[in-house]
Amino acid sequence: MKRTLPLTIVLGCGIFMLIAFFVPVRWFQDASQTLQTWYLGVIAFFVFIGIFNLVRINVLKIQHKRRDWQFSIFLLIFLAGMLLAGFIGGPDGTVFLYLFQHFQIPLSATMFSLLAFFVASAAFRAFRARNPEATLLLIAAVLVMIGRVPIGVWIWKGFPSLVEWIMSVPNTAAKRGIIFGIDLGLISMALRVILGIERSYMGGKD
Amino acid sequence: MLTTIGIWIAAFLTLSIYSFLYKDNPFYKAAEHIFVGVSAGYWTVYLWFNYALPNLFLPLFRDGNLWYIIPVVVGFMMFAPLIPKVSWLVRIPLTFTMGISMSLFILQIVQGDLLPQLQATFLPLTGIPPFQVFSNILIILGVIFTLIYFYFSKPHKGALGVAAKIGIWFMMVSFGAHFGYTVMARISLLIGRVFFLLHDWLRII
Amino acid sequence: MHFFDRIAKIDRRIIFLLIGLAVIIPLIAPLGLPVDITAPVKSVYDRIEAMPEGSIVVVSIDYDPGSEAELYPATLAFLDHCFRKNHKVYMMGLWAPGITLGNIAFQEIAPKYNKEYGIDYINVGYKPGGAVMLLTLGRNVADVVATDYQGLPIDSFPLGRMVKNSRDMDLVMTFSAGDPGILHWIIYFNARFGTPIAGATTAISAPRQYPYLSSGQLLGLLGGLKGAAEYETLVGRVDRATAGMDSQSIAHVVIVLFIIMGNIILVWEHRRKK
Repeated sequence: MKRTLPLTIVLGCGIFMLIAFFVPVRWFQDASQTLQTWYLGVIAFFVFIGIFNLVRINVLKIQHKRRDWQFSIFLLIFLAGMLLAGFIGGPDGTVFLYLFQHFQIPLSATMFSLLAFFVASAAFRAFRARNPEATLLLIAAVLVMIGRVPIGVWIWKGFPSLVEWIMSVPNTAAKRGIIFGIDLGLISMALRVILGIERSYMGGKD
Repeated sequence: MLTTIGIWIAAFLTLSIYSFLYKDNPFYKAAEHIFVGVSAGYWTVYLWFNYALPNLFLPLFRDGNLWYIIPVVVGFMMFAPLIPKVSWLVRIPLTFTMGISMSLFILQIVQGDLLPQLQATFLPLTGIPPFQVFSNILIILGVIFTLIYFYFSKPHKGALGVAAKIGIWFMMVSFGAHFGYTVMARISLLIGRVFFLLHDWLRII
Repeated sequence: MHFFDRIAKIDRRIIFLLIGLAVIIPLIAPLGLPVDITAPVKSVYDRIEAMPEGSIVVVSIDYDPGSEAELYPATLAFLDHCFRKNHKVYMMGLWAPGITLGNIAFQEIAPKYNKEYGIDYINVGYKPGGAVMLLTLGRNVADVVATDYQGLPIDSFPLGRMVKNSRDMDLVMTFSAGDPGILHWIIYFNARFGTPIAGATTAISAPRQYPYLSSGQLLGLLGGLKGAAEYETLVGRVDRATAGMDSQSIAHVVIVLFIIMGNIILVWEHRRKK
């Protein structure tokens, strides 16, 4: 039951959706549409459980006074603040939008921008041409880095065209080969999931 | 006035995050935790008002469409792991969503990705300028050699080894281009924040 | 200690400082380097120019504040162009935070052209569900869009009533930072319904889109901040992206110099071992 029911669901839903794609019967199409709408509803809960777990973990951290527990208080205060602002004033409320604009936007953008510094440090310490393949990689990287910015045009007028050719020819060829490999792998994995051969996503021993 | 306070708050949080570049410190840790809290709160509010409420709970409670009990119950099964006795129920929403999404993968990846890309690889070799012929041959060979590299059922020796080697060269050029663009992306993000600090906060540009 | 030994062991905070200065100084003292236009960006511009007045452009804001620096300037430049050509903009998003960013963009651009909400532009909000949602949207918009982002019935707006399915959409322009995003629009929407798709992506995702440009599944592409700067140049709007290009240029040169210096040290260490 604990294994049979879920496997029946994945097989049933998967086969039904595959058949519905090819069968132009009204009932089939309506049922397929309903299943897709329900799918949209259910995946929203994936995020809700994530938020619930986040709160639970941080409350436990505060309760047991684990390392850096004081900062969890900041997390919970701001989470509560956003929830209150959102549920009282609505997602277009002044307070909610103010918090979004002056907290979330700068924090999110700054976090990601930190990577620029680490990329520069990595460029100095780690990007070494130790073999012919690595040399080819670095040459392509340098050409793209210089050719894709205005200083590349200033150095040599042909740089943008050269970079565009690199992107459109060797890059496209390799990426397309990789796309084929990924797509065939995805189709094989999808069939394995629908047929119940691949079950690791279900978790548990039974 | 409120906008000015908001800009100063944003600048303080930005500099708190950047202080990590010197050394890990309480300002950075506080800003990091505030970020997680604000993001989690934002997503919860948005998902509730834009999806769960109008598409699940309103049809059920306001419109009286009792069929929507099924997705609501299945959705709440996501919380089953909290009760050890019924934790296995979480498999139901997992398998339901996997069944739907995997079938869509198969259908659309063939129609939307694999076949169009295969079609696009059949490039003309006549009636076009010589350099275009050379480029098209390079694309066709590049795709073939890249695929040969990923064929591991036979050892990469002899002609197969040479073809796989050429496939690696194509991939190295592609990865190099990708790295160049990655650097570009990261620097762009930094430019955005510095622009905010200099233009919106300090007003020196 | 040998010079190269000192350089090899340099504190990484010096590297951080050099990159910071490489970005800050050109913003304060611009070089004014001209921005060249590439074919993928020109394709998007030409399509907007060629479309008849009143065409409906679906703008999908598929990014969050983490990618705002690259994609928000592109969003502004594109909206500016659409409104100047009197096209109607039907905004939605596959990422929740994008909707608020999209509204901020509307507030900045729409008043400049006296555009009216509900008639010239509309924001129908965040639509989760990725592939399933897109397949449903193209078939029957009403199954996905019941209200605008404020919760008002979509049929109460003239533009809301005009878009029933994919046949009413003349172009989809997606500003995409990841998944779901541009690939979903190409694979699930363009493949099924044939609606032309153009995109602006972060620079990290741009190389991945070239096979789709080559196959014609993607009409045009604005890659990263440079793509945004190119579009600003085409529409005659000197803004954040163009202002950032000098910093981008100098920072790239600095990083290339770091790579060269690192490899000189590699060669020197190799010779020293021998």
